[in-house]
Amino acid sequence: MHFTLHIWRQENRHAKGHFEKYEIDNISAECSFLEMLDQLNEKLINDHIAHPVCFDNDCREGICGMCGLYINGRPHGNDDGVTTCQLHMRRFNDGDEIWVEPWRAKAFPIIKDLVVDRTAFDKIIQAGGYISATTGGVPDANNILVAKHIADQSMDAAACIGCGACVAACKNASAMLFVGAKVSHLNLLPQGKPEALDRVHNMVVKMDELGFGSCTNTYACEAECPKQIKRQNIARLNRGWIGQMFGRDRRK
Amino acid sequence: MLVALVGGFLLIFLLFHMTANLFILRHDDGQWYSAFTHFMGTNWVVKIFEIVLLGVIALHILLTLWLALTNRMARPTRYHQPSKSKTHTTSKLMVWTGILIFACLIFHFTDFYFVKLGWVKGEYMVKTEKLQESEAAQMQQFAMQMGMTPEELLQEMEAEAANYGNEIDGQSTKEYIDHLREQLEVSNILQRAYGEGNISDDGKWIRHLTYDDRQLLRRVMPESDPEPDFYYMAREKFTRPYIVIVYLIFFAIVFMHLRHAFPSAFQTLGLNNYKYNNLIEVLGKIYTWVVILGFAAVPILVFLGL
Amino acid sequence: MNLDSKIPEGPLSQKWTNYKAAQKLVNPANKRKLDIIVVGTGLAGASAAASLGALGFHVDIFCIQDSPRRAHSIAAQGGINAAKNYQNDGDSVERLFKDTIKGGDYRAREANVYRLAEVSGNIIDQCVAQGVPFARDYSGLLDNRSFGGAQVSRTFYARGQTGQQLLLGAYGALSREIARGTVVLHERHEMMDLVVVPDKDGKPRARGIIVRNLETGELERYAAHAVVVATGGYGNVYYLSTNAMNSNGSAAWVCHRRGAAFANPCYVQIHPTCIPVHGDYQSKLTLMSESLRNDGRIWVPKKKEDAEAIRRGEKTALDIAEEDRDYYLERRYPAFGNLVPRDVASRAAKERCDAGYGVGPTGLAVYLDFADAIKRLGRDVVEQKYGNLFQMYKKIVDVDPYEYPMMIYPAVHYTMGGLWVDYELQTTIPGLFAAGEANFSDHGANRLGASALMQGLADGYFVLPYTMQNYLADQIYVGKIKAEGPEFDEAERSVRERLDSLMAIGQNTDTHHSVDHYHKALGRVMWEYCGMARSKESLAIAAQKIAELEAEFYQHVTIPGHSSEMNPELEKAYRLADYFELARLIVADATQREESCGGHFRVEHQTEDGETQRDDDNFMFVAAWEYQGHDKPEVMSREDLNYEYIQIVKRNYK
Repeated sequence: MHFTLHIWRQENRHAKGHFEKYEIDNISAECSFLEMLDQLNEKLINDHIAHPVCFDNDCREGICGMCGLYINGRPHGNDDGVTTCQLHMRRFNDGDEIWVEPWRAKAFPIIKDLVVDRTAFDKIIQAGGYISATTGGVPDANNILVAKHIADQSMDAAACIGCGACVAACKNASAMLFVGAKVSHLNLLPQGKPEALDRVHNMVVKMDELGFGSCTNTYACEAECPKQIKRQNIARLNRGWIGQMFGRDRRK
Repeated sequence: MLVALVGGFLLIFLLFHMTANLFILRHDDGQWYSAFTHFMGTNWVVKIFEIVLLGVIALHILLTLWLALTNRMARPTRYHQPSKSKTHTTSKLMVWTGILIFACLIFHFTDFYFVKLGWVKGEYMVKTEKLQESEAAQMQQFAMQMGMTPEELLQEMEAEAANYGNEIDGQSTKEYIDHLREQLEVSNILQRAYGEGNISDDGKWIRHLTYDDRQLLRRVMPESDPEPDFYYMAREKFTRPYIVIVYLIFFAIVFMHLRHAFPSAFQTLGLNNYKYNNLIEVLGKIYTWVVILGFAAVPILVFLGL
Repeated sequence: MNLDSKIPEGPLSQKWTNYKAAQKLVNPANKRKLDIIVVGTGLAGASAAASLGALGFHVDIFCIQDSPRRAHSIAAQGGINAAKNYQNDGDSVERLFKDTIKGGDYRAREANVYRLAEVSGNIIDQCVAQGVPFARDYSGLLDNRSFGGAQVSRTFYARGQTGQQLLLGAYGALSREIARGTVVLHERHEMMDLVVVPDKDGKPRARGIIVRNLETGELERYAAHAVVVATGGYGNVYYLSTNAMNSNGSAAWVCHRRGAAFANPCYVQIHPTCIPVHGDYQSKLTLMSESLRNDGRIWVPKKKEDAEAIRRGEKTALDIAEEDRDYYLERRYPAFGNLVPRDVASRAAKERCDAGYGVGPTGLAVYLDFADAIKRLGRDVVEQKYGNLFQMYKKIVDVDPYEYPMMIYPAVHYTMGGLWVDYELQTTIPGLFAAGEANFSDHGANRLGASALMQGLADGYFVLPYTMQNYLADQIYVGKIKAEGPEFDEAERSVRERLDSLMAIGQNTDTHHSVDHYHKALGRVMWEYCGMARSKESLAIAAQKIAELEAEFYQHVTIPGHSSEMNPELEKAYRLADYFELARLIVADATQREESCGGHFRVEHQTEDGETQRDDDNFMFVAAWEYQGHDKPEVMSREDLNYEYIQIVKRNYK
């Protein structure tokens, strides 16, 4: 297969970026999008055309959340429920023009080419995306009963890989699906209840502070989430927000 | 969140507005509809509600504009490629449909609401009994007894004014005559109404008053309290094709707005879950279709003469 | 080299208790005066940093990715073992201990493994308290499934994403400590060297590290009272493996260069159930969880002509009649069937494919069939248990595994070898600790499924927070360590020289190749000659080819860009440079070990029916290697394994 690629190139955080056009041939339909980029880089290096394109990637099996490219108008490209590393070239037609952009959001500054800084997500988690359980001194695992459907719902939300596709897809660059998923994962479980209200408050406040937009319920996040996290998690977050307005102890 | 609350309020209001509009479709010469508009125009609870409603609309607009602005700021550099993500129907257009609705709303207000405020000239009506009990009516009757038209009566009185001295019934003659002249104009209105048959079927209303008529009545006899004749205004307007088209476009935009607004409000308030989500989506569809078909029915049916 | 494993006195079941009772501790007020560096944010690193931070130590933690949550522990699918005996099926600490030792083919240290089994239950308690959404049954209690090498159901799981959920739990605990200020996170930083400084008695101690900021390329120095390396394994020396692209052995390797012994490098686990290779541009192999072997049945055609027809695309699996299918694992190992340990299953697949019964276009694949399970349990149940794995398979291969059997083939997965550590997880450099896959300690010659997560978390949550205090107790007298002095200068200078010399390669030659070109070539050599089956001859070939490739690499590799910017090619290059040295050591270790055990299979040493043949008289030891310099062969020392409690038998899964 042959493709014409338009790839965003940017030296560093402060440089101005631009699109660069590359042609690539002999791509197998079985190969993944990132393997196609590997081959492009190989070509760029061997033919001394340009410095190879930087892009984040790691596990290449759709679980680490490291990769993420905005391909032809869709985060993770034209397939549902996949990360960029799981997108295969068979999803494209021979001769296609492919535009590859990095995630774009104020909270995700570009570091180089297609690599963005997603530490904002870590900061949100640090604001409360955990259950305070210091090592040792916890009860026996089976002392905490969790109804199966609750455990399942919690697991559905916990499947989030933190790739940022929700932010990338959202027209408002909102992180509500990410935060909603984390809050749902923890707040649904009995272990997460004691800190539930503070968790919602602190994570949402942090999210706003970091410059993410607000949710206007377009649900592009849900459509693009590689782990198919549902928008109900956002509703649960909203519910939690209203709950904490009335129920949270502010004296601390 | 506030946007959703406020929007929810507007959703309820629309349902109410639509029900009232359907009264226009009754071939009752506007009895129900006029009764309704009369109530709306006079009741003080409604007046308070009106202010709240306007406030709510303003809040809804300001909040959403602010939201749209900050949301744009969350992505300073736009994507080169337009988004191809699947999104909830019409959800991405909310700001634009919202702005269009605001524009159409101004158009709509010039047609109706501003008429009520007297900022725009429309067509008015007044209760027959109010005018029948008026001085003008008495004057007319008196003139008839004298075998004169009211004008002749007035002219005669003017001519003889000097004979009456400076005062009539404790008023200066000049003022008295002026007063009568005003009354005469009222009586002209009355006469024209009867002459042209501008009386409602139940005989309670005099209609097709002009803006000048209304201003006059308000000045001369505030107690007559002329009201805009929305029933006929609406029926008249909707015979003009371009108005009907504009309104139908307006409703289409409102439809797009509501189509997302209804389920969205539930989502934002966290009032949904896996179980009820489909229900809400279906209810949203029903609500939107009912409201829009209800609204659209009026211009269409009136235009078709049904 | 004197290898003191520091195993505590007393009966096996009392050793850990005795150790804890006798060890030295650091009082709370002093803890905050002590600095610890943790490298790696996987299960071992994150859990260690979180636990040490919670105790009050000041911790600096480093990861090469953009977030701690990306560490490759996240990709573990199937589950985590613990001797909870919630199923009342006869499990116990002793049984988990014995299974692990036997699974490791009697090449692991008894006391370490026993401790691992002992704390396994606490891990589950800890994870549940952190909100890990383990699978539950309808009563709300925890559910279990079984894994290879065990006859009980002791594996706890969270769908097919157990590693992810456990890592998120540890990452949450770490995030909490970061928010509290006890831990400082340095993301996109790679450890480039270890700084060893002699103390006033002349005893060398790990005192800091040199790191490279991967965004700016700048070198930075960090000093501490102790260093923990939890940087995973070196499976990527094979290029194609189930490891992540950025997983590498360099952090452990620089420690080795600075004097830490490296143990059992030849023990590499080949995982039987991976998606087969489909092309030479392929960058990585995807694992299909071992848990699939609970319900899936592995087979190849009985007749060669059927296999050939399938390879030519003339027949599909569905065309092969039931009686023409060879369920070879069930045939060879009736007792464990499809759930034999990984090394056994992998070799059996290779044996069938080598004999000409392999399927798929390349003939290098066997079937993993769920037709029976779907018939027995219904599609819904199968979907609930393995849905995400099936989906993953379909996305990659574009074949629906509900209709056609999956095709699988073994691939490099885990390295049992690693930095040599004693009972305290301390390497041969005082103050340098190694945890998780980076150390060699608990799995012997083969790791059982669902034990890597257990070991990583055991090390981080329940071992290091104790044993490190024993080391740190007298370090309160040293005072704050500063990142200065000749040792830090020398280390930074040597890193800089290494980077500069790599950047300079290829300047004076016309042939250029990318780093990946050499890495792929190295991987092919290792897989071909030092993979699932090794012989004296193949190892000799490997040694020679590695040397040639390495020489060529230092002549012709081309690395674009500069060292003072984000430069993934440079990162790959210095990691590959270390892999060459590591590959040599793997081959040397495999050559030296004249026996077959676990993941190390020497064709000269097999039984008549093709099983591994150990030589307990001569090789029941840990081979610990010492670095002598880039061009010099390493020197091996032995730590003899003494089995006091385990009765050593032939490993038998029949």
